[in-house]
Amino acid sequence: MADDIVDVLIVGAGASGAAVAWSLAETRMRIVCLEQGGWMNPAEYPSNGRDWEMRQYSEYQLSPNLRKRAADYPINDDDSPIAILNFNAVGGSTILYSAHFPRFHPSDFRVASLDGVADDWPIDYWMLEPFFAENDRNIGVSGLAGDPAIPFHEPPLPPVPMGRMGEAMGRGFNKLGWHWWPSDTAIVTRDYNGRGRCLNLGPCNAGCAQGAKSSADVTYWPMAERAGVELRTNCRVREVTVDGRDMATGVTYFDADGVERHQRAEVVIVACNGVGTPRLLLNSTSARFPDGLANRSGLVGKNLMLHPFGHVRGIFPEPLASHFGPQGSCILSQEFYETDSSRGFVRGYDLQVTRGAPPVAAARAGIASGTIPWGEDHHAAFERTYDRDINIGVLCEDLPEEHNRVTLDPELADSHGIPAPKVSYKLSENSRRMLEHGVARASEAMIAAGATTVHPSPSPIRYCGWHLLGTARMGDDPGRSVVNSWGRSHDVRNLFIVDGSVFVTSGGVNPTTTIQAVALYIADAMKKNLANLFD
Amino acid sequence: MSADVIGSDRPLTATQRALFEVVVDMIVPASADGTKPSAAEVGVLDFIAERQPGDLPAIVRDIDRLDAAARERHGAGFAGIDAASRRALVEDMRADDAAFLRNLAMHTVTCYYQDDRVLTAIGLEARPPFPKGYEVVAGDTGLLEPVRRRGSIVRDA
Repeated sequence: MADDIVDVLIVGAGASGAAVAWSLAETRMRIVCLEQGGWMNPAEYPSNGRDWEMRQYSEYQLSPNLRKRAADYPINDDDSPIAILNFNAVGGSTILYSAHFPRFHPSDFRVASLDGVADDWPIDYWMLEPFFAENDRNIGVSGLAGDPAIPFHEPPLPPVPMGRMGEAMGRGFNKLGWHWWPSDTAIVTRDYNGRGRCLNLGPCNAGCAQGAKSSADVTYWPMAERAGVELRTNCRVREVTVDGRDMATGVTYFDADGVERHQRAEVVIVACNGVGTPRLLLNSTSARFPDGLANRSGLVGKNLMLHPFGHVRGIFPEPLASHFGPQGSCILSQEFYETDSSRGFVRGYDLQVTRGAPPVAAARAGIASGTIPWGEDHHAAFERTYDRDINIGVLCEDLPEEHNRVTLDPELADSHGIPAPKVSYKLSENSRRMLEHGVARASEAMIAAGATTVHPSPSPIRYCGWHLLGTARMGDDPGRSVVNSWGRSHDVRNLFIVDGSVFVTSGGVNPTTTIQAVALYIADAMKKNLANLFD
Repeated sequence: MSADVIGSDRPLTATQRALFEVVVDMIVPASADGTKPSAAEVGVLDFIAERQPGDLPAIVRDIDRLDAAARERHGAGFAGIDAASRRALVEDMRADDAAFLRNLAMHTVTCYYQDDRVLTAIGLEARPPFPKGYEVVAGDTGLLEPVRRRGSIVRDA
């Protein structure tokens, strides 16, 4: 059957590929998805065992270069101050994401018009709004309606608990007169669609043993498979093939046994994230596309955006039970989200308040920084920090620059011999100033909240390259973009891209809710245009 | 595996083993009130041998360097000198080389803060997070009143 032609072939079973698979399933087309990883077993996640903290530092490392699971591919990120992070399995990087789920703002789609930088998107917030809401319902998103920083929306579930630490930071923000709000979070806080509610296990970023975190493997994939989508795991795609009419004919891939196969398809959808997608397209060369598939603009792999990240840790005088609760989600401040030219940079950032460090992490951080000494004073120093710490992440909008890019490494390859991606990235002066400003404001908020000591980390944090955006941007001009306003390649009319690669700008928030809204919007456009999809 | 062999294939002599325990107890000694054990008591050596055996040879080299430095400075092995001299020697060697014994210190606290006695002493139940989980207070959303009063800050787009 593998050599039969299918109607739709999706490459990648992560956040966007899963959403598109579910959405298109109602067409009753024959849909196949190829995923290079396998299914994760929640019973094997670290929080099932006593050594859960230890395992976060080994087999659940965030960097594929350190983790080296069989499904991972190497990424040369030596030429970047920010390391690339991802996960390869059914569910993709949502397996390890923290599920912090703030939406892009309306202004994020119009940065050229508003601030004279980068480009406007060919779509806007209000076109995506129904798909944000649909996605929230489909996967189960918690939050508190009425956040004055974004247009009104009503998450289907109540927010994750702030805890005493969230209250402390909220009081601090109030003292300063700054915006703050409980974070939208892709975690179910009540039993929802057959999934049990969040138990506040803590390490969401090492997989959720309860299944309360809305990763794509426990949300979209069960629905998509029930609706007839075929998911083939441990299948790594080498290239998208084309014919002489510039139409994709299918993909060549290695199956679970390492056998090279070709799957023919009427439509190919690429959903491999902002590094994996350009890697696949650049590896798909042919006489008609010598510089990579869908790359006549020369922009495939360019304009990589990574969200430079700053970090501040505050230590408080009283115990806050701060390490309990969803690790990456509590409250956020968007006081500095929009452009204010007096700050010395354009665009803005998000202050993401996250939980404190559990025992091993607290001790390791103290030993590494010297704040917890060796010897007799160890115990007293540990007690002064453990359970009394709060973290703030400074997530900065990254603007598109063509020199920040993904290319193919001339030597590095994965276990199938497929050339690996090479990332070249330089921190812009705008981002550097934004980080400096954000770290100073986060420190100010800590002091206002009552922190007795504040520890800013050197910026940008190296292991923070989760958000991989912009490397196959959308637009109306084929000379300045890779796909059109509904994800279809300008050069190959039956090739679609649905992941964060199509982002024109990066916003200043975690992107997964917007990635999934864009994917659902593209799938909806495909359904509406089925009769003339390739015109 | 023989009791005299740890790690992949590198033997640890009785002297090295004793020295290892002296060093990890310098990193985390037992608490003065007796509620927390010392690092040697929680089995740091076995932990590294089992979980990170590849790191052991470099750690043993550091310990051998420490012993040799003690003999050079004090004419006796590290285990045979007084506590103040041990501290001074380790501090000097860490000042010269920031990586000296750093990995051992990280493994020591990683092992230590997963031990039942230690977790109980710091007020935790000695169990994995799942399936029981934890209760976290919801928090007072009344604190948002000033934010609500300020009204919408959505930028016109």
